[in-house]
Amino acid sequence: MELKIQGVGMTYPNGKQALKDLNLELKSPSLIGLLGPNGAGKSTLMKLLVAALLPTAGTILVDGQPLVKHERAFKERLGYLPQEFGLFDELSVTQFLDYMAALKGLRQPKAAIREVIESVRLEEKAKAKIRTLSGGQRQRVGIAQALLGNPPFLILDEPTVGLDPEERIHFRNLFSRTAQDRLVLLSTHIIEDVQSVCDQLVVIHQGRSLFTGTPEQLIHLAQGHVGVFWERDAGQEQGLHITARVNTGQGIRCRAVAAQLPAFVKVEEPTLEDAYLYLLSREVSA
Amino acid sequence: MGKIYRYECRRLLWNQFFAGLTVVLLLYGALVLRGVTILGVSHTAPFSPWSFGDYLSRMLPLLWLGALTLLSFFTSPKARRAEVLTAAASMSPRRYALARCLAALTGTALLALLCLGQAALFYGWYFGWYGWGSLAFPTLVTLVPPLVFAMGSGWLLGKLRPWLLYAWMPAPFVCGLLPLPEAMGLWNGSFFIRYPLTLERLDPAFSAPVSVLLVQCGLLAAGIGLLAHSPVKAVAERR
Repeated sequence: MELKIQGVGMTYPNGKQALKDLNLELKSPSLIGLLGPNGAGKSTLMKLLVAALLPTAGTILVDGQPLVKHERAFKERLGYLPQEFGLFDELSVTQFLDYMAALKGLRQPKAAIREVIESVRLEEKAKAKIRTLSGGQRQRVGIAQALLGNPPFLILDEPTVGLDPEERIHFRNLFSRTAQDRLVLLSTHIIEDVQSVCDQLVVIHQGRSLFTGTPEQLIHLAQGHVGVFWERDAGQEQGLHITARVNTGQGIRCRAVAAQLPAFVKVEEPTLEDAYLYLLSREVSA
Repeated sequence: MGKIYRYECRRLLWNQFFAGLTVVLLLYGALVLRGVTILGVSHTAPFSPWSFGDYLSRMLPLLWLGALTLLSFFTSPKARRAEVLTAAASMSPRRYALARCLAALTGTALLALLCLGQAALFYGWYFGWYGWGSLAFPTLVTLVPPLVFAMGSGWLLGKLRPWLLYAWMPAPFVCGLLPLPEAMGLWNGSFFIRYPLTLERLDPAFSAPVSVLLVQCGLLAAGIGLLAHSPVKAVAERR
């Protein structure tokens, strides 16, 4: 499966420009992490990709065909977990998934439902009414409906929100396994999630694509721009973006990114989070 | 589509709200039958089409309210949050909307059948009267057009703004208070009380002037038109 986003722009009726001239190419198999601060345009991009919105500029091609003209065929191959969603509280988990399977036109719904319930570890709650589930369990139902029928293209918007750390690790691994033969687009602000599983990254800021490449390439970009220092040594430095402050026995240890590191800063190997913050800080400074 | 219809019926009909609505409807129906219908209207028998029509017109506001409340299951803010998932599925929005409309219509029809069943029981119990065939025409003329119109207009208003659906609920109660023209006499129930008197016969058979029938046909056509238009509107709204 191949998705081409060509010069896509999205301006809402209130005049807010959420995306500007976005160009991306997504090919399966891949797990692509979509990163960006709040309001960067990630959710708008996802809504465009599921045809919930129409772009005001540009085109989205799915295997060379315009998405708008082949919306239904595209949706047959799509699994989508939005950031915010509702469920039918009066149905049980199995019934809700059966409902979604009918909407998706699945031919073997029972086997598919059993499979996804096991994937998201909701076996014990399979017959429970959705209204009795906790927030994390509801999120898992959301993930389960996205995985129903093994769609070749999965769009997951903040899938690990509300999950406990153990569950987050489980789902990270699940998404990683899923992406072995499919295209998975994972939007998140949790860098840790992206770092451990994504083979491609797209960073969006203020509606524009800042970076497209592998996590290693992003880290490489920040080489020599990340360092640590003692807070007491620092003066009124300009252009130094502190990314972490840690209280230690010897004082406050700071971690920072900058285009030019001052002399008192000891250069460190960047993490993906450093690299991401460096990219954003560079954009803000520009 | 059949499965979606069955699940929607389950969601709409198997809950405390529907049970409560049924109880209220039956209690109010009993009150009307034993307090008003039993006396007969316009000097006709209690089981005449006129008295029966009067009973239906008194039940209509509650049925309208019930129909719109069933629709609120699809148009409430909570239901809209679930739509982000259902809209991403491959079923055509038209077919999906049709399945949901049919479920709401089924619920409304069930409520209407309860009213009819209660009246049938009442007539059988009190008068040993079982000539229900003569009541079919007044039933169709009185109930079908406004209830189909309630579904069509309610679906459209609820999709525009959820609160509009609630604002639309008291419409038949307001109609009951308004001095409507004779052609719209079915909307406030005055038709069943006034029109038989103009026929100057004892226990006349049920009939309605062309103007009344035209108004009801117009209402039915508008309801069907709105129902057909609503799914298209739902697709357009996403854009």
